[in-house]
Amino acid sequence: MTKVRSLLVLGAMLAAALVIAACGSDSSSSDSGGTIIRGTTDQPISYDPAGAYDLPSYDGTYSFYQNLLTIEPGGNKAVPEAAESCDFTDKDNKVFECTLRDGLKFSDGSDLTAEDVVFSFERNVKIADPNGASSLLANMKSIEAKGDGTVVFNLKQPDATWPLLLTAGSFGIVPSDVYPADKLQPSDQVVGSGRYTLADYQPGQQTVMEKNDSYDGADPAKNDRVIIQYFDKASALKLAVQDGDVDIAYRSLSPTDIDSLDGADGLSVISGNGTEIRYLVFNTKLQPGDNDAQKLAIRQAVAQTIDRQSIADNVYNGTVQPLYSMIPQGVEFANQGFSDKYGEAPDVNAAKQTLADAGVDTPVPLEVWWTPSHYGAASGDEYAEIKRQLDESGLFDVTLKSTEWNQYSTAAFTDKYPTYQLGWFPDYPDADDYTSPFYLPDSFLNIHYNNAEMNKLIGQEKSSADPQVRQQAFDRIGEIGAEDAPTIPIWQADQVAAVRDGVHGVEETFDPSFIFRFWLISKDQ
Amino acid sequence: MKESSGSSGLRTYVLTRLALALLTVLILLTVVFLLMRVAPGDPITAALGARLPAKELEKRKKEAGYDKPILQQYGEYLGQVVTLDLGESVTDNRSVTSILAENGTATLELTLAAFTITLLVGIPLGLLAGRYRDGPWDIGGRLYGIVIYAFPVFFLGFLFQLLASQVGWPTSGRASPIVEFDLNKVTHFYLIDTLIQGDLNAFWDVVQHLFLPALVLGLTISGVLIRLIRVNLLQTMRGDYVEAARARGVSERRVVVNHAFRNAMVPVVTVAGLQFAILLGGAVLTEETFNWPGIGSELVRYLNQRDYVAVQGIVTVFAIAVVAVSLLIDLINAFIDPRVRYR
Repeated sequence: MTKVRSLLVLGAMLAAALVIAACGSDSSSSDSGGTIIRGTTDQPISYDPAGAYDLPSYDGTYSFYQNLLTIEPGGNKAVPEAAESCDFTDKDNKVFECTLRDGLKFSDGSDLTAEDVVFSFERNVKIADPNGASSLLANMKSIEAKGDGTVVFNLKQPDATWPLLLTAGSFGIVPSDVYPADKLQPSDQVVGSGRYTLADYQPGQQTVMEKNDSYDGADPAKNDRVIIQYFDKASALKLAVQDGDVDIAYRSLSPTDIDSLDGADGLSVISGNGTEIRYLVFNTKLQPGDNDAQKLAIRQAVAQTIDRQSIADNVYNGTVQPLYSMIPQGVEFANQGFSDKYGEAPDVNAAKQTLADAGVDTPVPLEVWWTPSHYGAASGDEYAEIKRQLDESGLFDVTLKSTEWNQYSTAAFTDKYPTYQLGWFPDYPDADDYTSPFYLPDSFLNIHYNNAEMNKLIGQEKSSADPQVRQQAFDRIGEIGAEDAPTIPIWQADQVAAVRDGVHGVEETFDPSFIFRFWLISKDQ
Repeated sequence: MKESSGSSGLRTYVLTRLALALLTVLILLTVVFLLMRVAPGDPITAALGARLPAKELEKRKKEAGYDKPILQQYGEYLGQVVTLDLGESVTDNRSVTSILAENGTATLELTLAAFTITLLVGIPLGLLAGRYRDGPWDIGGRLYGIVIYAFPVFFLGFLFQLLASQVGWPTSGRASPIVEFDLNKVTHFYLIDTLIQGDLNAFWDVVQHLFLPALVLGLTISGVLIRLIRVNLLQTMRGDYVEAARARGVSERRVVVNHAFRNAMVPVVTVAGLQFAILLGGAVLTEETFNWPGIGSELVRYLNQRDYVAVQGIVTVFAIAVVAVSLLIDLINAFIDPRVRYR
């Protein structure tokens, strides 16, 4: 009897606690009104710039730190951020000098000096973190401070892309008296001079950033606090924005989710210019074809047969744009090499002629590899559509094969796959970042493509700061890229977010730089 | 004084079980280690394979020590386990200990809540099904048991999410973003932390978030429990002592509750303990479905990134937990039932 009574009392206490709690649930939030909550399926790797080489980490590094140079919203050129000015000081474009703005301070109150800049770059190279971007600094011979306010980069080779490279989220400036010189700073102990300070970081759960009141640069934050809430699945993210648990859902909703959210009550779908691309890669050693001429004809015929518009409309519901060059639209010096050569619409008759001229027997057996989750759930539909298009032309007999990214990322670049799917987002928004990684002989693609004129042109565009010289070089690179077609561009993605009503400014941050500028976003109170 | 043969038998049994448990853990650790090395891919290629040339990737792998002889790596791994230093994850530099503390408690909170629901649903329904054999309770209970067990946990989860979303009930995460930020995480058990903080609004928010995943996971497992209790109750109801109780004029209710049910629960305790392992496994899918930041969803993430260190650390603790629970059940059984230790 005593036991029963005890249980009843315990039950009553629990019920009372729940009732009391429930009654007060309307005021459960301590939101001051200035908090922006963004949901995402992207998880950061490190908030130390030396360990960051991925978009979700950049979300933090661009917010916590200042770079010497940055990209203005909507722009595609490097402009000063922590620097007052930066420029090459020699005619060879090998010495790059930056003068710092006066009065820069870190969030711990210490001064930001040229020594901190030198320290930041030197430790990035020294740490060479496996997940970091130290390899981007391979052309840096040395860096030195001239007094408190000037920094000089000495480069090994002329490099006109250097200013844009300095805008990457891997090159934020860290305090030399706080960050270790030989290892990464823990991600929950951030000290920077950017628009936000880190209030809390729970890996896999949330990052909380608060406005840095000591920041006195351009565009101070329009909100008091930002919470980045992490989701494992796009479906959970979609529900969260629908239910109002998050203000913004960005990266990565599926095309179907975006379609169903478009027009839903209380939110709108916002899209803007994006420079993430998808393309098809040919390993010129493994691909079908008895000789180089036949191999070239097969690549060209594929380029002539693929209907990019159909993929954009039917697979991605218009959330991507057909891509006719490896350099996407929105990036300076973009071109339309493939449509100039082959036209925008598929031309099966021309493809047939191309194959016939090279003496290729049809249908050409084509083994195409793709990976199911790394590039989004729609990859399966995309490659089913590509197979349908190529098979229906009667010129190809496509066999689709897929494997998960871990195996894929090893096999694709070690001469295992003759033709395969790949994607790219920029390290820095320069056309060079869309050409030299793919077309040079030492490309990570390892596809055995080597064109002497292409190599020379890439050298030219990289070393010249003259826009005219670079324009001419990239135009010709576009022509050769379409002619040789070792890679075939398929589409470029718009940046798409589902945004709750009353949240403003998301559209302003969508530009080729891929910088998600939380500071531009505000919410109606 | 000479030991009784009973205590000597028990000691031998305990020592044998302990030795077997250690061997089981060692085998598990070895299998995990080998599988992670045999499976294609590595953390660096998974992260940067589509950005850096093969030469640069090899350089980074060498710097990270992935080219060390496999025996050396195995020795270092076992050394880490023995010294309880499980290292730092390769992909995001988190100490495995903190992963276990932060995400492990999330899983434990979910598992305990789910287990409570399993017991609350499974015991009464199993009891009613066994007591009223072939009646509506029995047929309904058996049908429920089969149907609920047949539902994949993620399917049930999505179904409940859609329903909950219609009424504005939280469908993902451990708490609302702002509650989560404001919470002082002392124990990392949010129910306890909100109470320590004295914030009943936050407590209610956490209860709301916990309810749906715990319900889905708990219901899935409850089907097994119902059928188990039913069968055991039917067997014990046929026992001589039950007949004797009835003959003594004890009421049917007391016969069932005080005599048959208690005895029927003995094997259930054993199986319920083993359900712990199933719950941990089920928690992985539940966590994925409900965006629950538990150890299961972290394990999946690290597996996808081929993070050797994190996966090994998490699986090691999983393995030790399951082996420890099994060992505990064996020992409890040996204490309760002397026949066990003499087999």
